[in-house]
Amino acid sequence: MRVLTAIFAREARLAWAGGGGAAGPAAFFLAAITLAPLAIGPAADLLAAVAPGILAFAALLSVLQSAERLFGDDFSDGTLDLYLLTPTSLAALCLAKVMGQASATLWPLPLIGVLGGLMYGLPPLSALVLGAALLAAIPALALIAGFAGALAAGIKRGGLLIALIATPMMVPVLIFAAGAGRTAFAGDERAVANLLLTLAISLGTVALAPFGIAAAVRGRSG
Amino acid sequence: MLSYFANPQRFDRLARIAIPVFAVLTLILLGAGIYMSFFASPPDYQQGDTVRIMYVHVPAAYMASALYAALAGASFVYFVWRHAIADAAAAVIAPIGAVFTALALATGSIWGKPMWGTWWEWDARMTSVLVLFLVYLGYMALRSALEDAQQAARASAILAMAGVINLVIVKFSVEWWSSLHQPASVFRADGPTIHSSQLWPLGLMALGYTMLAGWLVFYRLRTRAIARRADALLRQKEAGGRR
Repeated sequence: MRVLTAIFAREARLAWAGGGGAAGPAAFFLAAITLAPLAIGPAADLLAAVAPGILAFAALLSVLQSAERLFGDDFSDGTLDLYLLTPTSLAALCLAKVMGQASATLWPLPLIGVLGGLMYGLPPLSALVLGAALLAAIPALALIAGFAGALAAGIKRGGLLIALIATPMMVPVLIFAAGAGRTAFAGDERAVANLLLTLAISLGTVALAPFGIAAAVRGRSG
Repeated sequence: MLSYFANPQRFDRLARIAIPVFAVLTLILLGAGIYMSFFASPPDYQQGDTVRIMYVHVPAAYMASALYAALAGASFVYFVWRHAIADAAAAVIAPIGAVFTALALATGSIWGKPMWGTWWEWDARMTSVLVLFLVYLGYMALRSALEDAQQAARASAILAMAGVINLVIVKFSVEWWSSLHQPASVFRADGPTIHSSQLWPLGLMALGYTMLAGWLVFYRLRTRAIARRADALLRQKEAGGRR
């Protein structure tokens, strides 16, 4: 357990060290949701209708921003090989690593999501539901990005490759997270079901993805 | 059986027999299928002659998923038993599967225009086939990006296996959209709802497509093995020259 907390803390510290890395996803998210209305037009009812989709989609893209860094650096400086040698379960270790980085960099996304929802003209309750859905989606998004990052660790300009691998896997989370916001805005009671399904996918990903990430790390070493 | 054909020479002998067998079966089945689909089957009472697009579309869609299953199966065999030929099979299946997926999307779109009045509809099945296409692309991109052959083999095998879980969840989650696509009509518990005059050409085309895929897979496997051997010989020669 001490190993896991140490790794969790290391990732969180690393994300904050070295200039602005931690704020990257949040800043990207903010930039993306600022640009979307400029492309769509300022019509208020249209913006409110597309807000859940745009915000969930932009959140997904921002999670991809930090995926290359997560395993790339540790792959090239040999830290991953050391992880392979520790007696601790590699899957648990990968989970701690991904969650360490996510806890340091992704926590603003739901808050910005609520703010963005209000700016797009969503009623406060719908904006809150959307924020909750983003919060529920973050573990799944972070782990999927981590899985793609582990597969593509150390590949030059691997960012695009990571995005290509991760996006098909993020489809279900996107559907349910955006769906929660959309149904809440429509006054449909299925918003709760969507929210719970987002959470269910996140929990399922927490259960499965660490083994996939561990297999990817093993596959990429030596 | 698996380990028996893991020997490259034995596999080569198998491929030399399999390639012409698949080729002949493809020509016969596809030939008969195309004749029946386009000339010897009646036009549909509702769809008219556009129903003939079905005979090229449905088998392509079936091959798109069948080849992904084959890709995942080969990846699993490689991952567990480290059979080099299973890995080679996964490598050659991916682009063939991607082409069938693209064909399914294109023919589906062409069929959708006269039937639904639109080239593309975001319905559940079309969307999941599009996601399947992206999965194929991601697989091929990862494989070609990794230079170390063993790392490429292992990483892409893991990705292909994870893709199976993903595709199942994607299928169920996109069902949440209401669908324009007709529900499954060939494989049903109460027997096919499609008339036998249409089922025959469809079945022949599906078998023909399958044989074609088998032909291409074996052909590419053999070409790949030969290319590898040629590479190894060249490297040997180069190394010898330097000495």
